[in-house]
Amino acid sequence: MAKEYTLRMGDGKRIFLTKERILEEIEAGTADAADLGAIAALSGDQMDKLAEILMMPGKTVSVEQGMEVPVTHDIGTLRLDGDQGNSGVGIPSSRLVGCMMHERAFGADTMELGHIDYSFKPVKPVVANECQAMEVCQQNMIVPMFYGAMPNMGLYYTPDGPFENPGDLMKAFKIQEAWDSMEHAAEHLTRDTVWVMQKLMACGTDGVNFDTIGAAGDGDFYGTLNAIEALRKTYPNMYIEAGMAGECVLGMHGELKYDGKTLAGLWPHEQAPLVEKAGANVFGPVCNTNTSKTSAWNLARSVTFMKAAVEAANIPCHVDMGMGVGGIPMLETPPIDAVTRASKAMVEIAGVDGI
Amino acid sequence: MANKEELFKELSDAIISCKKDNVLAAVEKAKDELDPSEIIENGLAVGMNQVGILFERGKLFLPHVMMAADAMNAGVESLKELMPEGEGDSKMGIIVNGTVEGDVHDIGKSIVSTMLQSAGFEVYDIGRDVPIRNFIEKAKEVGANMIGLSALMTTTLPGQKEVIELLKEEGMRDSIKVMIGGAPATTAWAEKIGADCYAENASEAVAKAKELLL
Repeated sequence: MAKEYTLRMGDGKRIFLTKERILEEIEAGTADAADLGAIAALSGDQMDKLAEILMMPGKTVSVEQGMEVPVTHDIGTLRLDGDQGNSGVGIPSSRLVGCMMHERAFGADTMELGHIDYSFKPVKPVVANECQAMEVCQQNMIVPMFYGAMPNMGLYYTPDGPFENPGDLMKAFKIQEAWDSMEHAAEHLTRDTVWVMQKLMACGTDGVNFDTIGAAGDGDFYGTLNAIEALRKTYPNMYIEAGMAGECVLGMHGELKYDGKTLAGLWPHEQAPLVEKAGANVFGPVCNTNTSKTSAWNLARSVTFMKAAVEAANIPCHVDMGMGVGGIPMLETPPIDAVTRASKAMVEIAGVDGI
Repeated sequence: MANKEELFKELSDAIISCKKDNVLAAVEKAKDELDPSEIIENGLAVGMNQVGILFERGKLFLPHVMMAADAMNAGVESLKELMPEGEGDSKMGIIVNGTVEGDVHDIGKSIVSTMLQSAGFEVYDIGRDVPIRNFIEKAKEVGANMIGLSALMTTTLPGQKEVIELLKEEGMRDSIKVMIGGAPATTAWAEKIGADCYAENASEAVAKAKELLL
């Protein structure tokens, strides 16, 4: 009987596959990415290397010596002080303590301060508090310290915001009204983001991390690209990291453009040049995990997309790795065997600059 | 005179153009040569199916899908006087869709509602953070064939199970299909809580709803 290796499904369930099956899954996963993104599939050597990583006997694996990459961090300190509903472990700690633990105990190469609501809009009324917290962190820490939040353009729609929900408008076939609503929301998103970051830059912040850009579709991406452009003009030396929400920009609007390019439907390798053009220093590409497919299929697909993004970008790409992205299964606490294999593959095959 | 295949293609292409005027013109042209049911099934519906595929591949986007659905509705409406009574009114199924209590995520669920609606289902989107009992009451009110349950957080997933349990208590489970979705939901979770299916995305939700209801 052929030897079987322990892998996982995208939902984390353990499965056992032969080398032949693993290679078939890898071939199908890379072909899916190549087909959707019109990009090159992994070569035979790269597929063999990926299979080798997946079949390694250790519970955890690591990159080869000398291939270590920087690890940037998002979601502020919520993984410590947040509760389970917020992806945290519920350890009571101040944000200063949380930031310093990430710097000095967890090996984060950059860190960010984030508010419990973790979106730019709700930071507006508490921005003075955020500035104070940032100043204290800056006085105590060494690693680059950013302010992080999600653009989260959904907060500008009813019932959370002033503009009618385009989803509701579209269901009533009010397409023009839906477009208008998204365009207004994007303008407000740009304005609020720039205003919040102006305050934070005035108190010594090193930069900004945009987390989950495009979560509310192409309008969200549009508003954020304009915010990045405005911030870069105002602060030529500011550090701007732009991380995406998903692999493909959702076409909620469908016709918004940046730099002459329609934003809806863009894949990571098409997003990277626009993020760079807007003025970001680092791009955080994403590939979603399909929970009904194997980790071999998901990782091959993810590595294929990330490799294309790295090749298309002149700025560093720090791939988004975690629950349900980057070839990692969709579990609240992602299994270490899958996380380390995915990370090694991203560095050694996709050639990402950071995680 | 155009042959049948050419007319079907014109109808389908008109739907893919997402323009109501194009669809109405194509229907008008086809009326003399084809039966209304042929126009709908082999022309307009084929175009709508293609629109769904283009959406799934990121080539057409949500507003375009809605414009195509709107154009299809207009085309079907213009054929009503030629159809036997009642034939044009049939819906594919009635679906109540919402995000479970405690979860305020809306966008993915709204896309699913929109896609189901554009595929021909009668959809009642009851919003987000919806109390468990509201799903049951709405399903009773509209005579739903299916309930769609979305949850985007691991902590709100149990709400999907609670709706299924309540359906059983109310003696409605056998007559109503349950579809679940949302980032932390999986096929394994659907099996565990006794849902009829799990859909990975909006296109799959349409395909699975058709499988279960048609």
